[in-house]
Amino acid sequence: MRNPLLALTITAFKMYLRNRQVIFFNLFFPVMIVVIFGLINGNGNVSVSMGVVDNAHNQVSQIVLTQLRQIKAVRLNTGSLDTERAALEKGERDVVVVLPASLGQGPVALPAFYNAGKPQESSAALAIMSRFVDEASFQYAHIQPSFTLDAQPVNSRNLSYIDFLVPGVIAMSIMQTGLFSVAFSFVAYKQQGILRRLMATPMRVPDFLMSRIVTYLVMAVVQMAILIVLGLLLYHLHFVGNIAYLIIVGFIGAAIFMAVGFTISGFARDEGAVAAIANLISFPMMFLSGVFFSLSNEPGWLQPITKVLPLTFLANALRSISLDGASLWAVRGELLGLAVWLVIALVLATRLFKWEVA
Amino acid sequence: MSVKIPATETLDLPQAHGYAIVVEGLRKSYGSVVAVDDISFRVQEREIFGLLGPNGAGKTTTVEILEGLRQADAGRAVVAGIDVLKAPQKVKSRIGVQLQASAFFDYLTLAELIEMFAALYERPIDAGALLRRVGLEEKATSRVKTLSGGQKQRFSIATALVNEPRVLFLDEPTTGLDPQARRNLWELAQAIREDGRTIVLTTHYMDEAETLCDRVAVMDRGKIIAMDAPATLVGNLLAKGFRRRQVEREANLEDVFLVLTGHELREG
Repeated sequence: MRNPLLALTITAFKMYLRNRQVIFFNLFFPVMIVVIFGLINGNGNVSVSMGVVDNAHNQVSQIVLTQLRQIKAVRLNTGSLDTERAALEKGERDVVVVLPASLGQGPVALPAFYNAGKPQESSAALAIMSRFVDEASFQYAHIQPSFTLDAQPVNSRNLSYIDFLVPGVIAMSIMQTGLFSVAFSFVAYKQQGILRRLMATPMRVPDFLMSRIVTYLVMAVVQMAILIVLGLLLYHLHFVGNIAYLIIVGFIGAAIFMAVGFTISGFARDEGAVAAIANLISFPMMFLSGVFFSLSNEPGWLQPITKVLPLTFLANALRSISLDGASLWAVRGELLGLAVWLVIALVLATRLFKWEVA
Repeated sequence: MSVKIPATETLDLPQAHGYAIVVEGLRKSYGSVVAVDDISFRVQEREIFGLLGPNGAGKTTTVEILEGLRQADAGRAVVAGIDVLKAPQKVKSRIGVQLQASAFFDYLTLAELIEMFAALYERPIDAGALLRRVGLEEKATSRVKTLSGGQKQRFSIATALVNEPRVLFLDEPTTGLDPQARRNLWELAQAIREDGRTIVLTTHYMDEAETLCDRVAVMDRGKIIAMDAPATLVGNLLAKGFRRRQVEREANLEDVFLVLTGHELREG
């Protein structure tokens, strides 16, 4: 280990991994957010256990059953009225519908029994059911309905909240690592005289900076990997992204926030000041950049601001790549925004970062 | 009581052979404040040289220039054969620096820190042997924050020795230490000199300077106002008729303390 850059990088990794506080905020905290938010929001989709008692056994009832089987949200069971009702009472069905023998021969009443404890699931199931019965009847009778409900699915990819959340939390943790790790450690190094001591050795300053930057970039990738794997294992995360693109965009984001971290450590006097400044920057951005919620919920006057925040560009680019399989060209708008922020942050960092304590 | 610089102190630099440090006409100002005002001195190889003076006298600035940490405005300084003003970076590999109250990275063990410092000099190191040299072999896997004050200073000196420096700078190494730890550190400094190294020491403790230093320079307001062996400086003062108002007793309170508590080093 006689290479200074290598030695500094290895020690930087050891220090990072042995610092429980940093590990908590950079690794466990984002994981906790994803786990908790994922639990609160379930998988986003309502899933219904439906029992159908087919007393018609005709073409109309066949059409209805075939179509019901194609709906992902419906777990279809068929059986006699007695067995299905028994299952309903045990809580194994949310709703049981009887297709009467007269199905397809004019207006018909569908006897339905539902679980009063699951009104959402039941009413969804009943709505689905009545729609299919109508359609099937029309289809069978070759009658064009006077109007059809043209319901467009909002999310054709069946995206759930967790799919939205995970790339957002990745963006957030990249921001936190860059901002807090850099600012905290450099202010501490300066305050405690560690930098002065190192400057009394032949150490090259670029080696020292590079060792820290490499460490934080690698940790950003580790964070990304942990969150994606967690999403895949726990919540069936919809992930179709190119990992190389994700890493490239993540690096750009990390570079921006590290530069902001260096800037803060240039004028913050102590770690308390770092905490205040870094929180002041990161906390509002966490909520204004669509990390947890879609931006469209925010008031109109705020949207021009939220749209140009670096975290917004980062979160949106990561989301497009991981959810839509977008290419770097497809997210060029976000990349341009990030590039502008990178230039701003680097200019600030080179002007305001000071090696010595003021 | 100013000291005339003897003629030999102004020799040309090529004739600086045998000296670990040669300083001539060194100046440094911060705005209108003159921190170092045209000082000259020489330190011989294997000498323990003390820089004394009240706070703000210019000791720290002088030392930092010699360590390559600060740029001088004018003058010449050669440390361990390197012209510091021309090659401040190069001198760093030939000297060792123990800074006053210097801290080290958290989350690393003493051995790991020693190895990291050695790597900065691109040198191999036997961290265990170096820690044994300063009496910290049992702490090799401990962290700095678990060390006592004296242990911290010894560790700090160990990091300053990783590159086998020709000149070692010690900045107030015993400030805040108990009498046992101070004596222990003095022994370490003397042992380092026995290895053939030169030591430049700044201190506020006159007993420390008297015990350790072959020669001392007294600085005030940026100038060196006296420079000689401690015994000679005391002799000169007495020769001028100086007498203490109260004659010192044969022993003082520190002797009482050490007789009562023993010379053995205590570690927290």
